[in-house]
Formats: sequence, structure tokens, C-alpha cells
Amino acid sequence: MNPTLLVDIVVGGLITGGIYALVALGLNLQYGLMRVLNVAHGEFLMVGAYLTYSLHTAWGVNPLLTLLVTGPASFGAGLVLHRLLYARVLAAGEAPEALESRSLLLSFGLLFVLQNAALLIWSADLKGYSYLSIPFRFLGSVFPANRLVAAGVALAVSVAFYVFLKRSFTGKAIRALMQDPEGAQLAGINLSRVHGLCFGIGIAMSAVTGSLISMLFELTPFIGLPYTVTALVVVILGGLGNVVGSLLGGLILGLVETASVYLTASDIRLIASYGVLSLILILKPSGLFGR
Amino acid sequence: MTMKRREFLTTSAGGAAALTVLRGKAWGQAKPVKVGYTLSGTGPYSVGAGITQGPNYTLWQEQVNAKGGLLVKGEGRRPIEFISIDDRSEHETAVRFYEKLMTDDKVDLILPPWGTAMNFAVAPVANKYGYPMLGPTAVSNKLKELSLPYFYALLAQPDPIMEAFVGLLKDLKAQGKISKIGLAYVNDLFGIELYNSATPHLKQAGLDVVDTKSYPLGAKDLSPILKGFKAAGADVFLGLTYPPDNILATTQAKEVDWNPAVFLTAVGTAFPFYRDRFKGADGVMGIAGWNPKVKIAGAREYFDAHVKKHQKEPDRWASAFAYASLQILERCVGEVGLDRKKIKEMLDSTEFQTVGGPIKFVKGMNVSTPGMVGQWQKGEFEILWPKSRATGTPVVPKPAWA
Repeated sequence: MNPTLLVDIVVGGLITGGIYALVALGLNLQYGLMRVLNVAHGEFLMVGAYLTYSLHTAWGVNPLLTLLVTGPASFGAGLVLHRLLYARVLAAGEAPEALESRSLLLSFGLLFVLQNAALLIWSADLKGYSYLSIPFRFLGSVFPANRLVAAGVALAVSVAFYVFLKRSFTGKAIRALMQDPEGAQLAGINLSRVHGLCFGIGIAMSAVTGSLISMLFELTPFIGLPYTVTALVVVILGGLGNVVGSLLGGLILGLVETASVYLTASDIRLIASYGVLSLILILKPSGLFGR
Repeated sequence: MTMKRREFLTTSAGGAAALTVLRGKAWGQAKPVKVGYTLSGTGPYSVGAGITQGPNYTLWQEQVNAKGGLLVKGEGRRPIEFISIDDRSEHETAVRFYEKLMTDDKVDLILPPWGTAMNFAVAPVANKYGYPMLGPTAVSNKLKELSLPYFYALLAQPDPIMEAFVGLLKDLKAQGKISKIGLAYVNDLFGIELYNSATPHLKQAGLDVVDTKSYPLGAKDLSPILKGFKAAGADVFLGLTYPPDNILATTQAKEVDWNPAVFLTAVGTAFPFYRDRFKGADGVMGIAGWNPKVKIAGAREYFDAHVKKHQKEPDRWASAFAYASLQILERCVGEVGLDRKKIKEMLDSTEFQTVGGPIKFVKGMNVSTPGMVGQWQKGEFEILWPKSRATGTPVVPKPAWA
């Protein structure tokens, strides 16, 4: 294999994978910890993307700076949504299966509300802008500068979150709840508060990913769902509730997709990614890093 | 576009104003002509529907109602009443609603939904109940093969479009301006048909295709393909694209530092949105059909009316044909009334003068409009090919990306 091709595949894979990792991390935080399968996850990505688009095109705000708006705003929205909707469902104290299906219904509702709200505000016309849309030469190959930046920021946020989980007190509380919800509560951890926090962080991650991808792709109110599906694949691939799993799972999926595109044809991308998922599930049904 | 989920338009906004003024006069007695349709207000088709069809439907309704209504032979003018819903880009929803329009609402006329696949889904229903359906956004070689006597296609189909593409490329090659083609197509019925139509023409013209690649609908990264073409020394990018991947290819060509002499893409290039998105998009070529500079009676007036009503320009391919389909219906109803069999007979035998030029149907296909290629030049999508329709001359090699 010639070295340029290798660089193309590895760097290209990390670019795609970095984005996947961040969006999957957010979903995993909700699904892994709370068993809330938030199918509206990608819709928050869409809203984040539109917010960045509007801030950039209307006021000329640098798209990267908009993360400072979309992140906190969506975190706040997550907290409110959790308090208003999910906390009630989760507090009902029913069997986990009932919780899953109820929260699924809720998030389907959210999906439609968010899509239609975006349709009213931004219309169905394609929206986009150019930012850092310039070539960046690297090890004999050339990459879009904006993709490198987007992936770099996505990976940085993911790693920062990992450090937060490992080092901070709150992070430990989150991990404790993931490992043993009942034991953690006995140790005095407030389940509802941590849930709210995780829901907010999860949504913030989705919205931040959206802000980043608005630099790369055209927007419509319907771009969210494919990301929810990809995130779900990554979460299953890496293992439910496993942060490192989501990170590595995202990167692996990105690499597999990019390699399949370069070495065969673009049409193989989906077959390759689902093939790897099936293979891992056959060999290790709990996912790569699942217990 | 902002179309409500379920809107029963008794009258258009402008029509409503006229109605209040005229109530009690002729309009008080005139029964409205019911016209039914679905358009995608949500889902993936909503982008195209909101650019090419929706604005023309409402423009036409407003204009006709402002004149006092649609002239129906033997009955005088009757206001147009639209009955429409958002089909959510779902074929089943569209089919069900058209069936309801024809059997339950008993509408007088129907207008088509947006897009080839939707037209495929709905045309058999229109055929079953004998409703003429004039589709301005249906492009498929298969339309000819199906037996759908009540369906009429206004646009040039894949074969003539590719004939025009290759005609221009052959001419450029003869002038020594291009030599090698990199061909990419979206792996979907539309892309595959264009590809299958292009291949024999390319071969016949002796053009050198150095690489051919397909990619799935919704592709998120086309840079591998573009880098491959660049490495193979292609000086023509021939992209048989849909709008999202068209925009992605354009963005990424610049990002991988590739500026081929000819950058020729398919659907989406003719949208004013494309020009605005890429700061003029100077030099990019694509499927064309119309621009406000064409020497056709009414073309400029249509352009101005569209901009005035919707604050956006019609696209440079199918918009004018969407409006033309309404002009054709209007003329038929004026001459033969609302008897749909008679309308069909007239459609089959008449040459119509429209803002898109003369249109004549043979077995449901418009044979008067050839496939055309256009190029963005200083804010206008100039028609380059065929020469008989040209409003400008090709700029090759294209200028550097803005």
C-alpha cells in the first residue's frame, strides 16, 4: 500500500470517527446510565447546527466560538427537559423495560416537535456556509481544513469529558451510578440530580457536534436521524455505558468506513460498518468494552 | 418553504383579498374549480418541492384568481380552490391522498407531487381515475416504458440530457480544452439512469473516461473520489448528482485543491441557492432548462412575478416548466372545459406556447425541449448547449474557486 493512501485512510478515518465518537458519547451517557433511548438525540445535533449557522450568518460569529453558546444553552435545555419530562417517567419506579418504552415514546415526540420547530424557523431549504473551506497539506496528502478542525475539537471534548469522569467527584458519582445504581444511592449519591446532569451533558455533546458539522454539510431539519442511528451503532459496538468504548468505537467505525471507501467503493461503506458491528456482536455480544 | 401540515386553501392569500372586493358580484355565484395536490413540506423531498413546484402553484393561483378566476369553457371564470396536504415525502401518503382527492373530494383537476419517485407512485392512480397529470419534476427513461396515457412529462429525460452533456464535452475536446473525464454518479435510480444514458454517448464521442465511481445517496465524504480523479489527471468532473451531494462535491473539490477545467454536475446546480452558497459559483456547469434571458414571450414577466411574490428567484431548470404545466392546463380548460377526456385529447394534439418555450407531447413526452447544459457566469446560469438554445458561450477552463 502506498504511504499517501495510508495517510488518507488513517487521517480520513480519524476525522469521521472523531465526530462519531462525540455524538455517540452523548447518547451513551443517556442510554448507558439512564436507559433512556433518546431517539431525538440527532435532533439536538440539528438544532445545534442551525444555531451555529444563524449566529455565523446573521452576526458573523466565528463558528467555533458559537460552541460557547450552543454547549451551555443545550445543557440548560437538557436539564429543563429532564426535569419536565424524563424525571417524571423515571421516578415512576417501574420495571426497566417499561421505562425504556415510555422514554422512547417521549423522545419520539421530542423528535417531531424539534423537527417541525426547525421547519418553521429555518424552513426546509438547504442552508450552509463556508468556513475554513481550504486545503490543508499533510504528509503528502491534502485534507479539508474544516474537517480537521471539527474532528480535533470533537476529540478534545471527548477526552476532556473522559478526564472529568475519571478525576472529578461528580465524574466518580456518574461512574458509580453506571456500575451499581443501588449501591451508589446507598452511598448517598442523588440519582435524579446525576441523571439530570448526564442528560444535559449528553444533549450538549449532541448540539456541539451539530455546531461542528454545520461547518461541513448543508443543513435541513432532517439531518438528525442518521446521526442517531450511527451513534446507536457506536454505542452498541463499544459497549453500553462505556465511555472509552464509545470513543474507540467511534474511531473504529470511522476508520472502517473510510478504508472501505478508499479500497473498494463508496457504496460498500454501510455494508462494511454493519459488517463490523455484526462481527463484534457475534464474537462479543456485550460490545467491545462491555461487561 | 413554509407549508402547513394540512392546509385546505379555500383561496390563496391574494385571492382572498380579491374575493372580499368581488363578493356579491360574479364570484358570489361562481363555484370554485377544485384543484388537488400533495407536495412535500417535510422530509427529504421538501427542499426541491419548495424551490421548484410550491412557489409556482401559489403564484399561478394568485394570478388567475386576480383575473377573476380560471376561464372554463362555457361557464366563464371560476376561482381556483386548492386542496393540498404535506405528503411528508412518503409515497404511500401521497398515493392515499390522491386517491381521496379523486374519489372523495372529486376534484376537477390535479397537480403532481414533487420528484421522479413520487410521480412514479402517483401516476398510476391518476391514470386509473383518468386525471391528466403534468409532471415538471419527473426524469426517468422508464416513464416511456410504462403505460400511463394520462401522465405527461415536461422536462427533457435522461437520454437527451446526457446527449447535451456529451455534445458540449465533445465540442470542448475538439477545441483542445479538455481531455480526461472523471465520472461520479449517485447510486440511486436517477443517478444510475443518467449513468447508463451517458456511457454509450461518451463512448461514441470518443471521450476518455479515466475513472468512474459511484457513491450512495446521503454520502458524507466525497473527497476520496475527488482526490482519485485529481490523481488520475482528469480535467473534467462529470457528477451525476442530487443536490446535497452536489454541494458536498463542490465544497470538497475546493478543499482538496482540485479545480478541473470543467466542473459539470446534475441536479441542484441550477438552484439560485447554489450560486448564493458558492459566491457566484462562477464556471460551474449543470443541467439547465431556462433562464430569464431566453427569448421566449412571457419569460421575463414570469421571473419578475416569481421574485415579487416569493422574494426568491425561480430555479434555472424546472421551475419555468412547473409554471408552464399550469399555463397548459389553463389553456386546455379555457378551450375544452373541465371534461378530462377532452383535456387529454387536447394535450395529445396541441403545441403549447409557454414560458418554457413551445411544448408538444408525443406519447406523454415533451419532444420540443432538448436536454440543455448551463454554466454560472456572473450571477446568471447561461445556457451553453445546444447552440440553438444558447444564451452564452462556455468559459473553459473555469475560473478558480471563489
